[in-house]
Amino acid sequence: MMTIRQTLGDVSIASVETPPEYEGGSLGLTPTKAALKRARKHHGLKIGFGILLVMAVFALFAPWLAPHDPYMQNLSLRMLPPVWNEGGSWEYLLGTDHLGRDYLSRLIHGARISMAIGLGAASIGAVIGVTLGLLAGYFGGWIDQAVNFLVTCQLAVPSLLLIMALVFVIGQSVTVVIFVIGVTHWVFYLVVTRSATLRLRELDFVAAANAMGCSKFQIAVSEVLPNLTNQIMVIFTLEVAVAILNEATLSFLGLGIPSPLPSWGLMIAEGKTAMFFQPWLVILPGIALFILVIAINLLGDGVRDVTVTNRRN
Amino acid sequence: MLNYVLRRGFMALLVALTVSFATFSLFHFATDPAQTIAGEDAPQEMVDDIREQYGFDRPVLVQYGDWLGGVFDGDFGKSYFWKQPVVDLIQEHAGVTILLALSSLLVTILIALPLGISAALRPNSWVDRFALSTAVSAQAIPNFWLGLMVIILFAVTFPIFPVSGDATWKHYVLPSLVLGASSVPAVMRLTRTGLLDVLSSDYIRTARAKGFMGYRLILQQAMRNALLPIVSVLAVQLGNKLGGSVVTESVFSMNGLGRLAVESIFNSDIPTVQSLILIFVLTFVLLTLAADLINAWLDPRIRMG
Amino acid sequence: MRTRPPVPIGNCLTGLIALCALSFHANAGPDNDTLVVALSKPLTTVDRLYSIQREGLILSRLTDDGLFFVDPESLEFVPLAASSYEWVSDTELEITLREGVVFHDGSPLTAEDVIYTFEWVINEESDTSRGPVIRSWLDSVEKLGPRKVRFNLKLPYPMALRDMAISIPLRKQGTYEDAEDDAEAQPLNGIGPYRVSAFRAGREIVLERFEGYYQTSPKANPAIRNMIFRVIPDQGTQQAELLSGGIDIMMDVPPDVADNVSHLPGVKRLEGNDIRIGYITLDAAGEANPDSPFVNRKVRQAINHAINREEITRYLVRGSAEVVHFACHPRQFGCSADGPRYPYNPQKARQLLAEAGYPDGFSFKLWAYREKIIAEAVVSNLNAIGLDVDLRFVKLNVFSKVRNSKDMQAFFASYGSGGTADASASTGVHFAANSARNYSGDEALAATVSSAEQTIDSDERKRLYRKALNRIAEQAYWVPMFSYSQNFLLTPGLEFSVPKDGVPRFWQASWRQ
Repeated sequence: MMTIRQTLGDVSIASVETPPEYEGGSLGLTPTKAALKRARKHHGLKIGFGILLVMAVFALFAPWLAPHDPYMQNLSLRMLPPVWNEGGSWEYLLGTDHLGRDYLSRLIHGARISMAIGLGAASIGAVIGVTLGLLAGYFGGWIDQAVNFLVTCQLAVPSLLLIMALVFVIGQSVTVVIFVIGVTHWVFYLVVTRSATLRLRELDFVAAANAMGCSKFQIAVSEVLPNLTNQIMVIFTLEVAVAILNEATLSFLGLGIPSPLPSWGLMIAEGKTAMFFQPWLVILPGIALFILVIAINLLGDGVRDVTVTNRRN
Repeated sequence: MLNYVLRRGFMALLVALTVSFATFSLFHFATDPAQTIAGEDAPQEMVDDIREQYGFDRPVLVQYGDWLGGVFDGDFGKSYFWKQPVVDLIQEHAGVTILLALSSLLVTILIALPLGISAALRPNSWVDRFALSTAVSAQAIPNFWLGLMVIILFAVTFPIFPVSGDATWKHYVLPSLVLGASSVPAVMRLTRTGLLDVLSSDYIRTARAKGFMGYRLILQQAMRNALLPIVSVLAVQLGNKLGGSVVTESVFSMNGLGRLAVESIFNSDIPTVQSLILIFVLTFVLLTLAADLINAWLDPRIRMG
Repeated sequence: MRTRPPVPIGNCLTGLIALCALSFHANAGPDNDTLVVALSKPLTTVDRLYSIQREGLILSRLTDDGLFFVDPESLEFVPLAASSYEWVSDTELEITLREGVVFHDGSPLTAEDVIYTFEWVINEESDTSRGPVIRSWLDSVEKLGPRKVRFNLKLPYPMALRDMAISIPLRKQGTYEDAEDDAEAQPLNGIGPYRVSAFRAGREIVLERFEGYYQTSPKANPAIRNMIFRVIPDQGTQQAELLSGGIDIMMDVPPDVADNVSHLPGVKRLEGNDIRIGYITLDAAGEANPDSPFVNRKVRQAINHAINREEITRYLVRGSAEVVHFACHPRQFGCSADGPRYPYNPQKARQLLAEAGYPDGFSFKLWAYREKIIAEAVVSNLNAIGLDVDLRFVKLNVFSKVRNSKDMQAFFASYGSGGTADASASTGVHFAANSARNYSGDEALAATVSSAEQTIDSDERKRLYRKALNRIAEQAYWVPMFSYSQNFLLTPGLEFSVPKDGVPRFWQASWRQ
């Protein structure tokens, strides 16, 4: 698995690979309480969580919070600038796009799409990765080798190119994008689950449970998964961020979310031709993406810091 | 060791074949390459004529076998869209991508290594915090958007560099920066933890405690040990840059392999997509193989496992 | 209407102006008598016989001459390498060649060359792109004298001159002899006013004026000595290159970009009506689904009333684009009809839907592959009358695959008629019995357009097209939408006229003194 670790090239995975050791015993706190206590002191986590909460509220209540219908076209009011520019109006705070649709409303509705894609794709990835990891780790042998081969294939293809090819031939829709990003992002989950399952297999109590007549897979599921919750959660947040960026890139290249849905990546692509003259069309959705992704990453890093304690710094 | 290399080499070949067959079938079932060849306003007779002429009506396995047979003779087929040998196309476009990948790797090294080293030397200092927040931000910026922003900033508002293209060295500055930035977080974090590992190891601690070492010595001693895994990671990152070039080359309109791949997908130019994926996969597999060998050489336990 | 002048957002504009001064490629312009043209799409071959790309047609008008050419003013087909022609009967065409016509390699044009060219094209083995079309009407070519040939047609075919003008450049006898299976890779030896001095696929094509060009040609003595066609797929790059002097002219500029850029100093904008039209085809025959609502004429009429063509044309297509009511461009021969027109009227559309049994609307997929912004405006119009539209915006090859397998309920497309000012190229192409674009299932209509294509008499052809167009309008098989506007951005030092058929003729370009 050395290759995988380098390929993913991210040390965060190295830290999640180490088994969690909880501290706080001296204070008599349960691990959960200890983690919550640390969370309250963790600035990154608080900021990330705060931003996400606000964005989630906007996403959930978009139809009530957005000032206009994001699909309502008004061809005679095309490409109005934001209110702070000459020619802007308070009616359209962030201006309008090339079809005269309110940009602010589209950005607010866009949060829904980004979040749906992020959560959806990361969940699909989690299901695939964890299942394969359990299978490979528990049964070993040819199953492990087959899974390993699958991982090598998956890692060897430039994933963006693979996703593009898949979306191109299946056709563009939100479901397809979620599905395709999901099925190409499961390696992290697999690595963690597999190694945890491998460790578990060595332990005596599994043999004991086995003797008591529990099926192998039941043991794997009931014993491994609870211990992995924290790590999977951390990977999940990171994958949500990756999926959101992937969707934006895909939509930007014209192979993601179909029009007229207000995907931020698509909005950037649509604004690109007018980029030199109406730059806000490109800048605003990019900022929205940046804020969302950084908030998720802060949350993910925070969760890792407070749950996994043997950090060197 | 030889056994290990052979095993990995065989695996690499198998991976490449699996992936290329998967893509081949994918395109075969979903698009009409005959129309691509004929063009937008082509009459029906022409399209049918082409379908027969190129043998698109044969079973997918036969077509794939045909293509693969050619590959082993060094013939990657003829591009449906460009109507010239794919080998020529690849030769024409490879230069741009190789140059871009190497120059962006240089950018990554120039930013990530100093940041990672100074962060590791003073953990929890402002340098460390700065390095970590740079990594967090860089991870959150959509790469294509960063590209557009540097175009607006450095090519239009302050017209220092050309907007796009690949004609002169100036054209490579902005794309290299953008593509290089994408690997900074990973390499920076790895440098930092790798160096922290070494610095906290007993011999360095002892040496430092006894006051033997200044920063130069620390760097010399510690970096020697920390650097090798970084080199192997960089090899893998170089492979990633090939994939990243898909986006960067599109944003900056560079005539490289990444862009060729994107356009070939759009054109359902199967021979070109096929060959490019094969080349990307092989390059990646070779680079990871190199990385693994470096590691195996460093740590004999891997060879056994 | 609130149109704004493009907002000069401080820095951006200053930057662009500064960019003009800062030149990265100073190889364009009058100083070295080199015209640099940006191509958005790469040209795959310089041999017109093996390409039907629009870019190939543009280039071919410089490097090749056919027996006929399209007169830039009248858009009629007039002799070029031919000096005269005569229809001996409905199926026999005699052509006399001009004297003094030479190929780029210096050899003179002879009757043998003409015969070789056409025999090569109709030869099944040659696989030229227009082979199937030419084979459908051309039987043989025979030599009557050193500069005289006779074309024997299989059937009366009024568009023979068009095909000769647009698709068949003349080639030297034996050109493809040594080619084996790689005919299109041959170096180009044409008789046009420019010759290809370098061709780098996907990058650029370099042309230089051919000094041996025949003086009797209507295209003789082009003003500019060298031309370079640079492939720059990205619009933004083209803009920057134009402003920095890297290129002299940009074609097919989207109207928004043209509006923005034309306000900058150092750029001239040319605009004119294109012969290309945009339309929506409805699956009246129920090809994709026999129970499709579009089988019902009232539904199709409702769609016609639902789309606000005036607004789309005025705000999105812009310029000299015009609303089109029939299935052809008004500038095309035979394109006049008096059938019903469908003004924008959403109430009426809803009412028609209700009468057709769809008071609550229905859902369907609208396919499109270009002008996404217009497709989206159409979707919005259709939503307004209660239809649930799933816009499938895909790339051309996917679009074609689905369209050709008759799997679309409705699609928005455009057609440039290959620059041909004749209804056979639009109405004929779309409603012929064997056309993949024909979703009408109307056999009588197909018979009408087919007989128009086999009639030499102009008045009779006009009558037949009128009949066909009225039928299409009555049945509302299409939603004809608009004719396009074409925009060019060029350096102010360049003289160039907007082509009436949408296909630029760069041999007419010159430097302003």
